[in-house]
Amino acid sequence: MKFPYCQHRHSRPNPNAPALEIKGLGVSYSSEGKYAIKDFDISIPVGVAMALVGPNGAGKSTLFKAICGLLPLRCGTISIFGHSLGASHHRVVYLPQRSEIDWQFPVSVLDFVKMGRYVYLGWFALAGIKDTAMARHALKEMNVSDLADRQISRLSGGQQQRVLIARALAQNADLLLLDEPLNAVDATTRQTVGEVLQKIKAKGKTVIVATHYYDQEEGLYDGAIYLKDGKQIADLNYKDDPSHKDCDCA
Amino acid sequence: MTHYLTDPFQYMFIQRAVIGAVLIGVLCAALGTFIVLRRMAVVGHALTHSALPGLVIAYLMGGSLFAGALIATVVTAFGIGFLARDENVYEDTLVGMIPNIMFAFGILLISTTRSFRDLFSMLFGNILGVTDGDLRLIVLIAAVSLTALFLFYKELKLFSIDPNYAKTIGIPVQVMRYGLLLFLSLTVVVGIQAVGTVLTNALLVVPVAAARLLTDRLGRMMALSCVFAVLSALGGVYASYYFGTASGASIVIFCSLIFAIAWVFKFIQGLWGRRKS
Repeated sequence: MKFPYCQHRHSRPNPNAPALEIKGLGVSYSSEGKYAIKDFDISIPVGVAMALVGPNGAGKSTLFKAICGLLPLRCGTISIFGHSLGASHHRVVYLPQRSEIDWQFPVSVLDFVKMGRYVYLGWFALAGIKDTAMARHALKEMNVSDLADRQISRLSGGQQQRVLIARALAQNADLLLLDEPLNAVDATTRQTVGEVLQKIKAKGKTVIVATHYYDQEEGLYDGAIYLKDGKQIADLNYKDDPSHKDCDCA
Repeated sequence: MTHYLTDPFQYMFIQRAVIGAVLIGVLCAALGTFIVLRRMAVVGHALTHSALPGLVIAYLMGGSLFAGALIATVVTAFGIGFLARDENVYEDTLVGMIPNIMFAFGILLISTTRSFRDLFSMLFGNILGVTDGDLRLIVLIAAVSLTALFLFYKELKLFSIDPNYAKTIGIPVQVMRYGLLLFLSLTVVVGIQAVGTVLTNALLVVPVAAARLLTDRLGRMMALSCVFAVLSALGGVYASYYFGTASGASIVIFCSLIFAIAWVFKFIQGLWGRRKS
């Protein structure tokens, strides 16, 4: 018997729907305050890797938080694989900036990655052999299997980032929102994250990566969304890939 | 020699004190683990001080001290949580302000009773004075709180490490936060029986701080904290019986001794490790 977390529903993706569709989105941190995101529209097809480009304070993290339900929408709609927000918690995973995690908490890397399975377990159930195996597989994909028993406070910045992505892989989500994963990480992590992005894409999953170093990372993405002061300042900028012709590209 | 350990048990009040102290110790240590790791120790400190006016009003009206303290702490905990929703009111300001007002109000009320004995027992506890009724309430609160900790252990862990991720997968983090405050209030109320309003926070924090020095795994940390709290509780009861010392203060001194031993052990271990490398 399962006791899913509140609002959790396992909805099947609508086969013809884009991975993410946003119409007229407006988000603010208080009901009457200034808009952090305003008049935002976008449609991202399934299976692409997109960069969300903008300087600090442009609204990248705010947009991600709105997409995964952490911030209430003031206006507009968001649909994920054809379903409204909250209808598919397990399909979306948000990787926050590393500073938002309490890395001093006394748990091992394996335990941390297993948390990616909680959405499937719900209340009262404990992670089983299958969940542990999936967590170990995710660590292997990120080339950090040897860190499984290490306490999370003893990880370097690059290792923390890889472990965070491993947790997202363990969740087996279809839409990944990565908030500046390549910020202040070592060259090895940069390479591993790049390889993993390609692997994730090859599995048909959709990835959106917030970054302000698009010029250096351009090869990783199929296109970019430009954001400044909470407003979209440029449309999608897809490369010449025939599979992306059906989107509202520039 | 063993008769020193067994002799006190011929008295019913010692048996009640030991059972009560052990249960309170385990409860404080288990919940205290999350309180310390979530950096809520200062909230625990605030709630312990807030209980005083509830205790005094219940005493003056001839009502249940437990009920009085519980109402005062729950009102404070939820009051802080509610007022802190206004972004212009900082939570740490409220935590620093409200308990002091409540404590001052409690002292003001005590000054009307003209009895310093009452003040002493409320401030510093008296585990040797636990009645059968008190013990039943301690057992009930310990059973409910420890069961809740066991059932929601996984969610509390995630909520403490990464509350945003917990929220995105559908865990009601605000409910968890208020739930933790409610169980903290209940724990503070039973802790007051053992060590009083002033020292209860020490029982919540010190065993956990000692365990944190010795392990970096949550499960082991909780288990070690409970062992330290039980040893301190037993040590405090024996010291109180044989030397006539205040039971609450004795329990906290034993906690502090264990922390000092853990710190020295960690320090020597660090020196040894550096020497080997």
